[in-house]
Amino acid sequence: MDSNLAVQLTIQGILLGGIYGLIALGLSLIFGVMGVINFAHGQMMVMAMYVSYWIFVLFGIDPYLSLVIVAAVIFVLGYVVQSSLVNRILDYPEAIQVLPLVSLGLILENFALLLWGPDHRSPQTALSLKTFWIGSVMIDVSRLIAFVLAIVITILIFGFLKKSNIGKCIRAAADNRTGAILVGINVDRINNTSFALGAATTAAAGVLLLPLMPVSPHIGHDFTLTAFIVVILGGMGNLLGALVGGLILGVAESTSTLFLPATLKQVVSFSILIIIMLFRPQGLFGGKK
Amino acid sequence: MSAKRLSIGGMDRRTFLKVSGVASLGMAATTFGVPKLLRAAPPTIKIGSVQPATGPLAVIGVGQRRGNQLAVDYINSMGGIKSMDGAKLELLLGDSESKPEIGRSEADRLIKGGAVVMTGPFQSGVALAISTLCEQRQVPFMMDVAALDKITDKGKKYTFRVFITVTGLLNGGIKYLKMVTEMKGVMPKRAVVANTADAFGKGMSGGFVKFMEKSGLPIEIVDRVQYPLGIHDLSAEVARIKAAKPDILFPVSRPGDGIILTRELYKQRVELMGIYGPGSPGWYEPDVIKDLDKLIYYVMINVPWINPKSPVYQQANAAFQKAYNRYLDTNSAYAYAGVQVIADILERAGSTDPEKILVAARQTNFKNHPVVGGPITFDEKGDNTGALTALIQVQPDDDLLKRVKIVVPKEFAQSDKIIFPAPQLWER
Repeated sequence: MDSNLAVQLTIQGILLGGIYGLIALGLSLIFGVMGVINFAHGQMMVMAMYVSYWIFVLFGIDPYLSLVIVAAVIFVLGYVVQSSLVNRILDYPEAIQVLPLVSLGLILENFALLLWGPDHRSPQTALSLKTFWIGSVMIDVSRLIAFVLAIVITILIFGFLKKSNIGKCIRAAADNRTGAILVGINVDRINNTSFALGAATTAAAGVLLLPLMPVSPHIGHDFTLTAFIVVILGGMGNLLGALVGGLILGVAESTSTLFLPATLKQVVSFSILIIIMLFRPQGLFGGKK
Repeated sequence: MSAKRLSIGGMDRRTFLKVSGVASLGMAATTFGVPKLLRAAPPTIKIGSVQPATGPLAVIGVGQRRGNQLAVDYINSMGGIKSMDGAKLELLLGDSESKPEIGRSEADRLIKGGAVVMTGPFQSGVALAISTLCEQRQVPFMMDVAALDKITDKGKKYTFRVFITVTGLLNGGIKYLKMVTEMKGVMPKRAVVANTADAFGKGMSGGFVKFMEKSGLPIEIVDRVQYPLGIHDLSAEVARIKAAKPDILFPVSRPGDGIILTRELYKQRVELMGIYGPGSPGWYEPDVIKDLDKLIYYVMINVPWINPKSPVYQQANAAFQKAYNRYLDTNSAYAYAGVQVIADILERAGSTDPEKILVAARQTNFKNHPVVGGPITFDEKGDNTGALTALIQVQPDDDLLKRVKIVVPKEFAQSDKIIFPAPQLWER
């Protein structure tokens, strides 16, 4: 086996894993606070990719610069979705909760198809082809930036949840909803904010992915699934778990190319999912329930 | 009706309704013409079109649908099927979602909805499912695009193919590769085949490897890299390609992969004499040409292609441009040709009876189509004997839409030069 290739694949896996982690972070946050799995997560990310794409095409603003604007737009979308839809289904059985969110995903996907057509769009941004070399190992600059920003955003979210007043309320609501209501927290509004925050982080991930892969309406579904696997791997509702889970999945998928046909990539991620479910159902970082 | 009330000029509600009802009937009769209503209107002939309108192949599926529809509209505007009292064609739409099982159930739905002929479906896997169904239901199936040979094997009676077979594609691919290497006096030694792992990608690339072995070309295929349909990241795959140190890359891709693959080849500095596609999309779509710009230059693809010199193409392309603001690409053009052939067969059959359609289909000899190739005639398997591929190359041109040029065969060629070996991606 070519050791150079192995190093190359590991580095690529780590860099992509950071973005996986960021996508999953939003999903984990939403689950942690409300116990709802956002099945429209990937589609929300695709929306963000399109918003960022159009800002780039129409105004020439690089995706990395429009990140904050795009995250704000998707924050509002998340807020509206939570206040108008998800707050109403929180007390329903889990199986019923799935349906409105899967439907929302389908609606968003077809909305994108209707508005922007099925084409694969992949604008050439300033950095999308930049690379540098360490010895014979290539580092993709846009991947590295995506990775670094993903880590930074994760740290910011951690800080926000630990230090800020709203963050403390979110953690209180996640810990004990009734208790939070009793001490006077407006739990509905906290829910709205958490969902919006989750949506905004996945939006950020989408923007970071734009220079790396073409956007088309149907790709959201795959990312919902990836995020779901990462969240289960790391532990449902555990934010650090999401990041570590993302890295593990990224490296596993990437290095599997060495000894498996690439068509079996998905087998790798789903095998990890099944193994975790069998031996550690609470996830790597999940506490006892 | 009360004469007294009428005589004083008043009108109650009932009277008003009666009078106005009669009056509007009269108006309708004069406007729309009663005699026409009495005559039996020619029935519409329903054609079922199953295409991958959503899912990873949606770009193509939507284009195919539009190609089908454009031909239907054109034929209707020219007076429909004349041998059947000008019966109009109607397209029933089905969406395979790029999946065989859904393609089959959609075809079933359309047949139940009255489709007398089926067309579609772009994917060979879907075509296999629909052709089996059509044999059971005795509904003729005119495949516009689908290449896998085995779809028409096993003595299927109702299945016809306007497109070329994988064997035909591969023969073209090898023939043109020989031509280019001889003409340029350069011979690559090591090659990698990279392909999607759907029915077409596997069949096509597997076939290509076999044909290369038999071709006598001294090119060794040192690695085969397969990846799932709809992949978002090919960095690991390209790292593997690089490790194999090929001189030439033979991709069998799908829309979207071409962009990811080329950018990764650039980033990882994979040194190649060129990219030569034995026959697949992903390299010539307008969005790909625009997004990749210089990086896509000099890519050569052996492909069933549009015939820009044919008047039918020019007319259809103008209509397509007007309706959808993009040019009629090869897949949409084949979808257009599929409906043209169906109309030609119906015209000669003079009936929607499946047996009569089969007889007429066997005698097809259709010349006025918009694609590269001879007249469309069907052999005993139902394959088009006139199907032919062209070798296209993306060459520098200020006009984005003129960058894709036919370089061989000579009678269809738009450019008389072929550039091979190509400059490295990062040196352009």
